[in-house]
Amino acid sequence: MASAIEVNDFSFRYQGDKRYALKHLDFAIRQGEFFCVVGANGSGKSTLCNALVGLVPHYFTGKTRGEIVVDGTKVSESTVADLSSTIGLVFQNPFNQLSYTAGSVAEELAYGLGNHGVERSEMLERVDTVARLMRIEHILHRNPLELSGGQVQRVALGSVFILEPRILVLDECTTQLDPLGGEEIFDVVQRLNKDGVTIVMVDHDMERVARCADTVMVLDQGEIVALGTPREVFTSPTLGEHGVSAPDYVSISRALVEDGWDIPNIEITEEPTVAMVRGLLR
Amino acid sequence: MMTTEHPGGMPSRTGSRGFDAFVPRYTVVERMHPITKILAVFCLGLSAMSWPTPWLGLALVVALFAVSFLAKMPREFAKIMFGFGVPISVMLLFIQGCYSPRNVTFIADLGFAKLGLEGILYATKLVVTLLVFLGSFYLMNKTTYTGRLVAALTASGLPAKMGYLVLASLNVVPQMQRRMSVIQEAQSARGLRTSGGLIARIKAYLPLMGPVVMSSLTDAQERGMTLETRGFGIRGVKKTSYVEVQYTVLDRTANWLLLTFFILVLVVSTLMRLGVIPAWGGN
Amino acid sequence: MNIEITELEHVYPTGERALSGIGVTMAGTEPVAIIGQNGAGKTTLAKHLNGILKPSGGRITIDGVDIGDRATCEWAKKIGYAFQNPADQLFLDSVRKEFEFGPRQIGMPKEQIEERVVRVAELVGLQHKLDVHPFDLTPVEKRFCTIGAVVMMDPEAIVFDEPTCGQDLDGNRRLERIISELRDSGKLCITISHDMKFVTANFSRVILMCRGQVLLDGPARSVFAQTDILKQSFVAPPPITRVAQKAGLPDTVFGVDALITALKQERDRRG
Repeated sequence: MASAIEVNDFSFRYQGDKRYALKHLDFAIRQGEFFCVVGANGSGKSTLCNALVGLVPHYFTGKTRGEIVVDGTKVSESTVADLSSTIGLVFQNPFNQLSYTAGSVAEELAYGLGNHGVERSEMLERVDTVARLMRIEHILHRNPLELSGGQVQRVALGSVFILEPRILVLDECTTQLDPLGGEEIFDVVQRLNKDGVTIVMVDHDMERVARCADTVMVLDQGEIVALGTPREVFTSPTLGEHGVSAPDYVSISRALVEDGWDIPNIEITEEPTVAMVRGLLR
Repeated sequence: MMTTEHPGGMPSRTGSRGFDAFVPRYTVVERMHPITKILAVFCLGLSAMSWPTPWLGLALVVALFAVSFLAKMPREFAKIMFGFGVPISVMLLFIQGCYSPRNVTFIADLGFAKLGLEGILYATKLVVTLLVFLGSFYLMNKTTYTGRLVAALTASGLPAKMGYLVLASLNVVPQMQRRMSVIQEAQSARGLRTSGGLIARIKAYLPLMGPVVMSSLTDAQERGMTLETRGFGIRGVKKTSYVEVQYTVLDRTANWLLLTFFILVLVVSTLMRLGVIPAWGGN
Repeated sequence: MNIEITELEHVYPTGERALSGIGVTMAGTEPVAIIGQNGAGKTTLAKHLNGILKPSGGRITIDGVDIGDRATCEWAKKIGYAFQNPADQLFLDSVRKEFEFGPRQIGMPKEQIEERVVRVAELVGLQHKLDVHPFDLTPVEKRFCTIGAVVMMDPEAIVFDEPTCGQDLDGNRRLERIISELRDSGKLCITISHDMKFVTANFSRVILMCRGQVLLDGPARSVFAQTDILKQSFVAPPPITRVAQKAGLPDTVFGVDALITALKQERDRRG
């Protein structure tokens, strides 16, 4: 299967910084994969997200080594705007994703299309499609600045997705939302992934990561310290050293083992853990 | 079909909106092309200015009141016109009436100064010209969704970055106001006195500046990132717009009428001033 | 410290009714967590506690004094509020100055301020960063700087507004230590939070709000046992608690150890 993203020995140091924010990152993300990145604060997750869409090095200047290739295009040889139709970025603060030039959600969604010179008739079609996808048809006429955080985040996601990228990068985009808002976004993201969109998601919620990720990558001080399936990563004994906790379910399994119970497997998600505990009661 | 015919959004829960100027009222005036309305401001205002006497301006002001009815905002319009017009009239009439160098014929004696006719006429013309400019600008502003205005200007050649600046600043100000009040709350929770005399209040505002500026800068940076990812500034691509602005027959007719009117006024005023035609309505 | 809230109502200038008849008492040092979906009124309620918002109806008294009898800046001495976004509260050019600002505003004697700076810096883990500019701190450190600045004023109660937002493992651990130390020194800790792991690990009393009303108010264990009401309010118990509930364990448990104990008890009970 072709790679959606190839990161080849990539290192980056911000202008004026002594330390490299990213060091010798080398990995690939397959098309259609659900790829999660976790790590302590300051581990370089956001920098990586910015590097995937070209904000590093085109917007945030600094010293780059190595290369990132997105859908066959070298990031360093392209521009952020050109890459925006291949790879989209949604970040943490939903309000900062707005263009501040739109009086309605529909205009907000269409903004990026206007910049790309898309014909108005096609614009209208895409706005309708994306609104349905993001479940925001009922607020198309509202002023985006007056929506709740969860709604704004969906508008933001919609306005990125309307450019029809096949890869979406989500940088902790549920942190500022309440659990319901987070679930709504996540619901949309999963549906997009089912449709074949490659997802690169940075998240703090390990239970969610364990549930949905195909691959998990752990960053610590700009380096990859773990890369594998959720099971491989979350059952690793050295995980805690890198400032990352495993999902609670793992601690349940581990504690049971320590306490002398006989369990078939270390479970990392909820349903299997529940089934396991039920089994122990019989 | 979900597309919006009348952009501008619905009123908000916090009582402040991004686009404060525009509340849709679904009138003919609203539907007119923004550039036609701008043309109207210039043509009407300059016409009032060039006509030698106040009468044309006065007629235009009456006409603008009629337009305000069409735009369904007669009360607000009257408020602005009288609210500005009355004090400025009194002031100018007094100053020009008593102290204008043009004064030759005196119509009244106030004791400390004499009121001159020429001065009063001059003042009247000034006031009326100002009112024509003010009134037409106000109507244009209140009946034009800024998004449409910028789209129209951009289509006529306004650089995209300028258009962005106009729209974004309109929205950023209320956003900054919101941040200000959040930050004010946060500081009062640290014992900062935010009420009291003027000096006390100024002292109270200083600690707010830091967070407001910093948060605005951080926001600005993130917003810059957003714009990049949305393709802002792509070169070599003709921009399109969701907000559609089209010239209708009404607009084209209005444009012609306005221009013709202005040129006529200009010609006739010049002839009147040159003495070729007798002055109409007094000197 | 005794906070009495009776029939509290709050209507925003837009006409939105954020609180409809809240009746709650907070006293002593038992840490309280206010939970509920966004828009439930949690922050609105919390902002009444130090007088930032004033009631539209009903009453709040703090140690017998009506909240409206004093200005917000005066209540800062009694009730501290650590805002959700640290950037909203930090504006001076060193951590030390941030720490000294609040106490000076409320008239704390100089020697007391100096002594407290050392202790508070250690409590929040910034003892080596006292002369650093707050904007050069990491996001986690910024939050602890805000908390420190509030603790410096030595209030009897502190409200923590979404303190775990954006925190990582290390940050959460430090936060837990801070709350337990504050509790041990007689302070009332109140939090608004979405993070159920954080809430159940540190707060023995939980108030669940929904649409401007209090739905549940009591020991965390009993609140989280009411799964139907929680579901209606879009609140979910933390993962370990959920596992125990779904597996059929009768008790509401928090934490792995409690789960194992409950498991053993249930197995023995079933024979």
